[in-house]
Amino acid sequence: MSSPVRPNDQALRGPAAGIEVRWRSSRHARRLLTLALAGVFVATLARRPEFAGLAAPALLLLAAGQGPGRLARVVVKVRPSAGRVFEGEVVAVDVAADLGSRAADFAVRWTLHPGREVDPVGATAADGRTARFTVTPQHWGRRELGTLDVVLRDRWRLTEGHATVTLPRVDCYPAPAQQRTVVVLRRLANRLGEHPARTAGEGIEFAGVREYVPGDRQRSINWPASTRRGRLQVNTFAAERSQDVVLIADATSDVGEPGSSALDLALRGVAAAARAYTEARDRVGVVTYQWGAASWLAPGLGRRQVYRIIDSMLASDTGWARGASVYRLPRAALPPGALVVAFSPLLNQRFVETLRELRERGFTMLVVDVLNAEPPNRPRVADRLARRIWRMEQDAIRFSLRELGIPVVPWDGEQPLDLPLAGYTRRPLAAPGTRR
Amino acid sequence: MSRSGDSQPSQAAVRGAAVLLGVVSVVWAAVPLVHKGLATFALLVAICGVVAGALRLALADVPLPENSFLLPTPLRAWIRFIEILRLLPWEEGAVIAIVWLEVQHPAPPWHTALLGAVLVAYLLAVHLAESGASAGALRPQARVLAIGAGLLALGAAAGMLPAPGPGAASALLRLVAAIALIAAAGLVLPSML
Repeated sequence: MSSPVRPNDQALRGPAAGIEVRWRSSRHARRLLTLALAGVFVATLARRPEFAGLAAPALLLLAAGQGPGRLARVVVKVRPSAGRVFEGEVVAVDVAADLGSRAADFAVRWTLHPGREVDPVGATAADGRTARFTVTPQHWGRRELGTLDVVLRDRWRLTEGHATVTLPRVDCYPAPAQQRTVVVLRRLANRLGEHPARTAGEGIEFAGVREYVPGDRQRSINWPASTRRGRLQVNTFAAERSQDVVLIADATSDVGEPGSSALDLALRGVAAAARAYTEARDRVGVVTYQWGAASWLAPGLGRRQVYRIIDSMLASDTGWARGASVYRLPRAALPPGALVVAFSPLLNQRFVETLRELRERGFTMLVVDVLNAEPPNRPRVADRLARRIWRMEQDAIRFSLRELGIPVVPWDGEQPLDLPLAGYTRRPLAAPGTRR
Repeated sequence: MSRSGDSQPSQAAVRGAAVLLGVVSVVWAAVPLVHKGLATFALLVAICGVVAGALRLALADVPLPENSFLLPTPLRAWIRFIEILRLLPWEEGAVIAIVWLEVQHPAPPWHTALLGAVLVAYLLAVHLAESGASAGALRPQARVLAIGAGLLALGAAAGMLPAPGPGAASALLRLVAAIALIAAAGLVLPSML
């Protein structure tokens, strides 16, 4: 018999629900009744008393097993360990049946039926008034954890009460990819942050040495340099600034294997980038582009912003246009001078036009190409030709973006995002129209 | 439905016991073979019932997918087979067929009483195997089972008593007396337990 970890009764403080119980005789009772009726019938028909004796044990069991009255409703408390999880994380669901004063009269059996894209971890059946089941959502989205069948059995297991509990829904976030380094703009907004700017300021990164002027701090005097030059020299430091980062998730195309499709990679990439930039004290926002419209979240600071960004993307997962057009996004959604990082398979021509438009508006941009699928390779000449033309079109799109000054880096979703972005994280990214 | 590893040996033993008891009851009721009153058909039904019941117990842990629309044909056939195994009342059919086989024989009453004991044990073993309960779950029923065994013996003894007189009325009288005794026990004893 399965025996998952017994949860602490005190921990079950979730909402209680009274569920109607449907009672019926058990298969065991039906089999005993069959034996009894067959024995009595044959005894009567053949007038052989030993067959009445054959029916006796079954009849006696059925008569003696008539226990106390049935419960009309059972109160089931369900409490998941988390309401929001990342893909692959484990959610524990504690369940408890409150039978009141009748607890000793009935045995409880739980059977878990996991929902779609939700895998059980360990046993899916348990006995006892309390039980704990563990499941893991395999794919991002708003996931129903499943249903739970509750079976109440009397002491002699002659009657069974059945009830079904719908388990709560959890928000499953895409598992963020790995990203530690960030792309930094060459021109940073005049706002305190952690990125060293080109201007002198009160940061901690050494910028150079200059001659002392009245008003300089005495503690910044560079005594070795002063001794060499014969005049007082002071150290200068780079100012530390932050930047606005707008992440664009292209939700117009979802091609590739389920679980590693272009949309999966885009969402995981956005989650990783949001985490990396917020840890660098940058203000991060998101624009989810779908079918010519977009939903957006204004840039913000802090770890909570990462969850807001993912929530915003999941809320946009309706498969149809909602929200404002990209061309009409307010300044709050796309602050001037922001770094724009787009995650897209570049299959939608309108999205590519949108990128060009944003570039012409002066945004510094970077595109992470998440296309990891191709049309099927078929032997027909026309199919091969079409595949070749498709490839050439894709190459042309990427080439045209690079010509406009929009770097396009491919990412397969398995390697850390730091690798494709390495060429742009080593030095500040120049804004359009500026020379390096 | 998955089960923990510790209880698997005992579960296998209970399932094996259920199968063995089913086979014993079929053999006990069928030997010697008779060819009257649909006995051959009853034997076939009994064998099918016991075998299908054994298969149902053996495949009880096999999970079934929620949707089988996109599965290949052999897999869908396998799923359909398991669904039929779990749906039909195989043991009930086997019990009726075994009782019918027994009534075809001019067997002595103790033979029928022993068959009754084996059949009750078979049904209890099937119940334990499918519910996953241990044999200790039957402990509260031990007294009832003991009384049932007593009534079984009483029924056999009533069958072995010589008839007070020739004719059908005498046999009917013995039958009515046995049924009345069992019914009285069934009504009175549960309240005493």
